Amino acid sequence: MRSSNKHAVWLVAVLAVLGVIAAACGGSSSSSDKGDDATYDYVSLSGTLNGSGATFPKAFYEDAIAGFAEIARGVTVNYNGVGSGQGKKDLAAGTSDWAGTDSLVADADKATFKGPFLYFPTVAAPITVSYNLSGVSKLNLSPATLAKIFVGTITTWNDPAIAADNAGVTLPSTAITVAVRSDGSGTTSNFSKFLAAAAPDAFTLTAGDTVAWPKSQAAKGNAGVAQLVKSTSGSIGYVDYSDAKATGLTFASIGNKDGKFVQPTLEGASAALAGATINADLTYSALNAPGAAAYPITAGTYIIVYTSISNPTQASAIRGWLNYVLTEGQTLAPEADFAPLPTSLRDSAIAQIAKITG
Amino acid sequence: MSELIERTATGELMLRDTTRRSRRVRNRLASIWMVGSLLIAVIPLALVIGYVLVKGIGQLTPDWFTKDLPAVTRKAGGGMGPAIMGTLLITLAAAAMAVPLGVLGAIYLHEYGGSGRVARLIRFMADVMTGVPSIVMGLFVYTVWTLSHGLSAFGGALALACLMLPIIIRTTEEMLRLVPDELRQASYALGNRKWRTVVSVVLPAAFGGITSGVMLAIARAAGETAPLVFTIGAARKLNLDIFDGPTTALSVQIFGNAQTPYEAAQARAWGAALTLVAIVFILTILARVISARVARRHNA
Amino acid sequence: MASSASDQHIAPGVLPGGDAVSLHGSGSGRRGDRIFRAVALCAGLVVLAVLALIAASTTHEAWPAFRSQGLSFVTSSTWVPAEGRFGALAFIYGTVLSSVLALLLAVPVSLGIALYANEAAPSRIRRPIVYVMDLLAAIPSVVYGLWGIIVLAPFIGPHVYEPISSAVGDWPVIGWFLNGSSGRSFMTAGIILAIMITPIVTSLSREVIATVPSAQREAAYGMGATRWEMIRTAVLPWGRGGIVGAVMLGLGRAMGETIAVALVIGSQSGQITTHLFEAGDSMAAVIVNQFGEATGTHRAALIGLGVVLFLVTILVNVSARTIVGRFDRRAQGV
Repeated sequence: MRSSNKHAVWLVAVLAVLGVIAAACGGSSSSSDKGDDATYDYVSLSGTLNGSGATFPKAFYEDAIAGFAEIARGVTVNYNGVGSGQGKKDLAAGTSDWAGTDSLVADADKATFKGPFLYFPTVAAPITVSYNLSGVSKLNLSPATLAKIFVGTITTWNDPAIAADNAGVTLPSTAITVAVRSDGSGTTSNFSKFLAAAAPDAFTLTAGDTVAWPKSQAAKGNAGVAQLVKSTSGSIGYVDYSDAKATGLTFASIGNKDGKFVQPTLEGASAALAGATINADLTYSALNAPGAAAYPITAGTYIIVYTSISNPTQASAIRGWLNYVLTEGQTLAPEADFAPLPTSLRDSAIAQIAKITG
Repeated sequence: MSELIERTATGELMLRDTTRRSRRVRNRLASIWMVGSLLIAVIPLALVIGYVLVKGIGQLTPDWFTKDLPAVTRKAGGGMGPAIMGTLLITLAAAAMAVPLGVLGAIYLHEYGGSGRVARLIRFMADVMTGVPSIVMGLFVYTVWTLSHGLSAFGGALALACLMLPIIIRTTEEMLRLVPDELRQASYALGNRKWRTVVSVVLPAAFGGITSGVMLAIARAAGETAPLVFTIGAARKLNLDIFDGPTTALSVQIFGNAQTPYEAAQARAWGAALTLVAIVFILTILARVISARVARRHNA
Repeated sequence: MASSASDQHIAPGVLPGGDAVSLHGSGSGRRGDRIFRAVALCAGLVVLAVLALIAASTTHEAWPAFRSQGLSFVTSSTWVPAEGRFGALAFIYGTVLSSVLALLLAVPVSLGIALYANEAAPSRIRRPIVYVMDLLAAIPSVVYGLWGIIVLAPFIGPHVYEPISSAVGDWPVIGWFLNGSSGRSFMTAGIILAIMITPIVTSLSREVIATVPSAQREAAYGMGATRWEMIRTAVLPWGRGGIVGAVMLGLGRAMGETIAVALVIGSQSGQITTHLFEAGDSMAAVIVNQFGEATGTHRAALIGLGVVLFLVTILVNVSARTIVGRFDRRAQGV
């Protein structure tokens, strides 16, 4: 044999031995509490995981699915962005294996599920208030003004309340077109909850996945609202940061609890997350968070899965998918314009994976 | 020479146009209206087809027809293979159900029913059925099939078959009517039974016209969106099993991508629109060519 | 072959009622005939069965909504699923308004083309016009919707509606209609619908106009009529019934159109306004937008919208067919 071939054979042999060692270690650590990236056994997983739900984190999940497919070739993960409301219903009906949602399951709906389920926080991001108004590149909106716009009390851009928030800016007399979601949406839930918390007098509607917004044009999914705002001059709507940035929309600065007008950024989101209280089931609210740098409309999103899964292969696949999202997946978040979880929350979530039985 | 006759420049005699000016003006306006209408109708057609061509043509690479839908919807990449296959499978499955039923039903109407009460009722109801909105068909199939059997290509095919059935019945009956009775008489004279006559004499004679009608019905069904939205679900990868599991189709892809702001997704929508329009145009033109050939044979 | 011919004294041919008589007389062939006839009859009855099933199943599913809302389902315009209130009046209004707008835009154009094709066009252009209309009719509605939402709506709002509304929005009467500036609106839906129903109304009108006997035309010309006067006095009165039928079929098609309208009408609920350039909603658009995740009474209410739409389009279609049928009989009678 020529010497270069001999070296190649040695290299392959060494790599093979290392690979066997890695697989052996990976096999034993998949049942340990802390899923370690380097040794988690993704290779032996198989199955199809159908997921559906929120469009808020869709861009992140798509990137995570693509990344996961490279290392867990035996698993196919699908995600259908149909809105948090539909996602929860699909999981309850058993037509999906995992649900993406920005809002929690209502107490009244818990009985429709086939068994107990777990919330896994995945990422968080700002909900932007995007607008389309030529000639106005900077816009400040206090929560009360924002509430009045969406409730329909303010109807034109040059309303005194808007002018009060924006000293020195010339506002045109264009009519405001309010853009909202037509489908049941966790983004709507978080946005309306923020308005209810920060401007309770001005926001006279009931917060939730669906809100009876008066006089507004509706569109499907965050992408639909982004498209509506982008193509309609004089419009204003709530869109998740990732979709709004990818569409090239202009964001308003929202007045936070400390009275500062803050632009939606990942730093502002992380600042809001830092002070949030985490519940026992790992749910939390980062809305209207205190702190001068905190962006007040920061929303978290969750993956919901059943606690007990009948098929063991499927259960392993779900554990593997969740582990990926909470370890390597977190590094993909900023590129997709999402804020990764704070370390402590991330560790608690990884620990919760062990609770999935099957 | 009288007032009514004048000499033209070349020396010929002609009747003078003595129509009152207001009448001539009104005639002119009417002509402008008629020609103008044609131009007004051509403008949107040209715009729509123009946009579809210009924006969609860049998408039609070999990858477009074979690759799966992209995992990341915001970015370019992937293809429309599953959607193209889905449209073809669903439409063909619908045709497989609607064509035999439609042709047999038309045979009953023309060969046996005549102007009897049952036949008149069926004809009337078939006409009524052509007017049922496609979304109502979708709701109907959702209620009776999808709720109990889940999302599948077959549900979509059922809804499309309901849309195609009345069209096929009516056009087939028209074609059967065009077959001269002498052919039938000749067949009976040779000793054939009625069913034999229909199967081996009438149907072959009407074949061209029936095919043309069927292709038009298929073209109409291939473009439908509303009945598929609730019955087939969504899928990224190819699903060849029409009875099990969600799938996707070109029309549904266009509808979904039209509601996003992303360049790449909208480009896919235009590409899918071009593909769908091409399929529909080919079917329509083929149908016209076949029926023109049938007409020529008749007149010859 | 003619073994039993001596037993038969019936000439071969077809009896009234459709049964064939052949030299064969009785035999297994007659069973074949009976089976074939039965199969064909069953196939024909499938139409009746499916229609009955559609009517029955949709009404049954929608019943809970009808029961809980009562008459307010069609008289109230408050549609708030979260509170269990389903008043569809605004959607019925939207369907009717967009369809009427479509007719107002499409009928003059369609009639003009039909008359041009039959009366005024040089014969070289006649065939291409028919082809162009066929092609227009073949384009799927979702493609029109795609063009509408991406090209037409963003352009027409600021560049057509806005200037018109600023100019005449304050005027009496005209300002009641030409008001608003939303690209996604009743008017845009009406425009897209008009483009979609023009081919149908054109080809049906053309068929009607083509049946006018040339004697009528020649009589008018003989009396010195101009072409327009001939059309006005000979063609239009003759074809009036058929043309009305064609228009009503176009109306039925416009009312049932879902996807293109859903994309460009703006999905603004509760809107009952005469301002044509404002957004609204239609029955079919609401169904396709909300059905995906509706449950319980909400789903029943959406199916109920489908039932209302079904009834309205059937009504329009049946009236159209009876009018056209009466016209056909009169035309054949002369």
